[in-house]
Amino acid sequence: MLEIQSIKKSFGKNTVLDGVNLKIEKGDVVVVLGPSGSGKTTLLRCINFLEKADEGKAIFGDIQVDLHKASKKQINTIRKRTAFVFQNYNLFNNKTALENVTEGLIIGRAIPKDKAIKMGKEALDKVGLSEKYNAYPSELSGGQQQRVGIARAVVLNPDIILFDEPTSALDPELVGEVLEVMKTIAKEGTTMLVVTHEMSFAKDVANRVIFMDGGVVVEEGSPKEFFENPKEERTQRFLRRVLPEDYIYNI
Amino acid sequence: MSNGLDFEFLIDTFFIALSGVPVAMIITVISLLIALPLGFLLALTRINKMPILSQFSRVYVSFVRGTPVIVQIFIIYNSVPLLLATIFEKYNIQMNVYDVNPIWYALIVFSLNTTATLIEVFRSAINTVSKGQLEAAYSVGLTTVQAFIRIIIPQTLVVGLPNICNATVNLIKATSLGYAMSLPEITLKAQVAANASYNYIEAYMDIFIIYLIICSLVEYGFKRMEKRLRKYKIAPAA
Amino acid sequence: MEKYFDATYIWESIPTLIPYLKVTFIVAGLSVLFGSLLGLILAVMKLGKNKISQNIAHGYTTVLRCTPSIVLLFLIYYGVPAIAINFGINLNDMSAAFFVVITFTLQFGALMSEVIRSAYESIDKGQYEAAVSVGLSNTQAYWRIIFPQAFVVALPNFGNSLLELMKEGALAYTIGLIDVMGKANLIIAGNYNSHALEIYIGLSIIYWILSILIEQFFLKLEKIFSKGKKNLKTV
Ligand SMILES: Nc1ncnc2c1ncn2[C@@H]1O[C@H](COP(=O)(O)OP(=O)(O)O)[C@@H](O)[C@H]1O
Ligand SMILES: [Mg+2]
Repeated sequence: MLEIQSIKKSFGKNTVLDGVNLKIEKGDVVVVLGPSGSGKTTLLRCINFLEKADEGKAIFGDIQVDLHKASKKQINTIRKRTAFVFQNYNLFNNKTALENVTEGLIIGRAIPKDKAIKMGKEALDKVGLSEKYNAYPSELSGGQQQRVGIARAVVLNPDIILFDEPTSALDPELVGEVLEVMKTIAKEGTTMLVVTHEMSFAKDVANRVIFMDGGVVVEEGSPKEFFENPKEERTQRFLRRVLPEDYIYNI
Repeated sequence: MSNGLDFEFLIDTFFIALSGVPVAMIITVISLLIALPLGFLLALTRINKMPILSQFSRVYVSFVRGTPVIVQIFIIYNSVPLLLATIFEKYNIQMNVYDVNPIWYALIVFSLNTTATLIEVFRSAINTVSKGQLEAAYSVGLTTVQAFIRIIIPQTLVVGLPNICNATVNLIKATSLGYAMSLPEITLKAQVAANASYNYIEAYMDIFIIYLIICSLVEYGFKRMEKRLRKYKIAPAA
Repeated sequence: MEKYFDATYIWESIPTLIPYLKVTFIVAGLSVLFGSLLGLILAVMKLGKNKISQNIAHGYTTVLRCTPSIVLLFLIYYGVPAIAINFGINLNDMSAAFFVVITFTLQFGALMSEVIRSAYESIDKGQYEAAVSVGLSNTQAYWRIIFPQAFVVALPNFGNSLLELMKEGALAYTIGLIDVMGKANLIIAGNYNSHALEIYIGLSIIYWILSILIEQFFLKLEKIFSKGKKNLKTV
């Protein structure tokens, strides 16, 4: 459903993505792991055109775009088929929770207002924020803000949702509520590409894990293979660092 | 002078000075209406480093903020008639440049001046509204224009509100220099009244009180607005 | 009256005007000196616990913020001698500079009180607590930790207030002070009001250059003094 071919991106002399390939089928939950600075965020941003790749191709169902030379119209089409959940939420500060969720529907998609509001309320209900329709971001906790962020993405019913470390700005006690919501929408068959450091999410929810380092995909496989039997030396080192106990246990 | 204040004059002149308030307010409001959008657009040219326009705004801001308003007034007041006279002559327009209502000069000076202030206000306010807001707007399918109108500009106004309040108060105060263009505003009206009897202290007390009332009201209005809009402020990170 | 534009008047006016910057500087310097003292007192009142002195200081600042310089200038120029005469003091022969300095001291004091207050409040309470926790006395904590940091925060605002003062000071000509602005008006009057535009352009160039110099000076100062702050950013 989404295929990314040999995407490359440099910032000055710093090559951040050095030919990454990616294939995601409908309903897949793909988790991207990798050390900080390995280019995970840049990959997601290039897919959504928040960053312009130097080269690469995206095949999106029936459409094919050059990631470097995409036209405005193509960019808009792809953005309408994708949604993004940001590490620092990026809720619109001047809009209530409900307005945040309906903004893309009413303005971006020209859906009638009353219908959009109905959809927005449903989305907020789904993430457990029925009480907070009219709260502004400044009146919400981090976990609540991120749940609005997820509702804002889900309501657009996109072909795929891109998550960039959705829980890493949160206090530890708030991580659970967000992961729970992500698990729910994954179970409903939402296609997701998730950058995260939450290994439990990768193990329990993902059906594929990709390990990136130095701007390339080092290894990929099912969570079971990946965690129990990593093939690459670099993957093993990474897992030893992030899961010391599990790793020893599994061996 | 030691015989104390002339209260009758004080009260009479208060109302004379008060009759200059509409002119001061008209100039303030129109100048703001011109300067707010212009300042915003020029701030964008600076942030996006647009060639020529951004250098132009930089020099413009530097000059306006580096010279006294009274000097700017004298420059406009002496140059515009010269320009107009040349134009009138060239196109054979039968009109005397000295018949031009001084309110026009005041509008030119104060809109140009306030624009410069607001360029700086918006520049820092836009920088405060994070890039993430624009990206989030793109990610839900808004175009750049839609994102600015619905997300970026409202937030910029909220962040910049205290400074916009300052700029407004400074603008109102600066209209007191309209006397230099023979503009019949608060200060000039009271001055003229005082000239007859040399009751300058009373006249200036009247002016002082009027500005105090106007500026306090404006500040109060802005404070209320700030309070109402406080919840739009940037949300805490965690 | 000739009404054409002659740029040579601009270049000729500048050397005539520059010596009069001395008056501008003296008046501004004295106002800054006394105004900073007044600002410090007002800031202490605002930061103190006494509600009455807090209200007085805040009220003073509000009133001054709402008063156009020209209005304050004339109030002082006419009002101070009128009050003084009741105490048997005759100030009618005082030079204009005297009233100008009073006016701008009052105004600069109001500006500075806010600059000092906000600089002080911007310093995190933790700084004081940390200082005391490593054994510094109350006074040491203030002198060695709080004030140096507050100073750096206040510096750019102090620079801005200074520029503001210099520009507002141009109005002193209205009560007869012969500074650069006053001299420019004299030159124009001497020319029977012709070529006013050229003289004012010359004057604006002087002010502009002066502002840029002051601005650059404060940017340099900020760089020198904010060395310790760099660490904050990279962390
Ligand atoms: N806008 C940018 N300009 C310059 N360098 C950038 C930019 N964004 C990211 N980088 C660099 O790209 C590299 C990868 O960053 P990123 O994709 O955020 O990694 P990750 O999300 O895996 O931690 C880092 O070295 C970072 O410094
Ligand atoms: Mg990242």
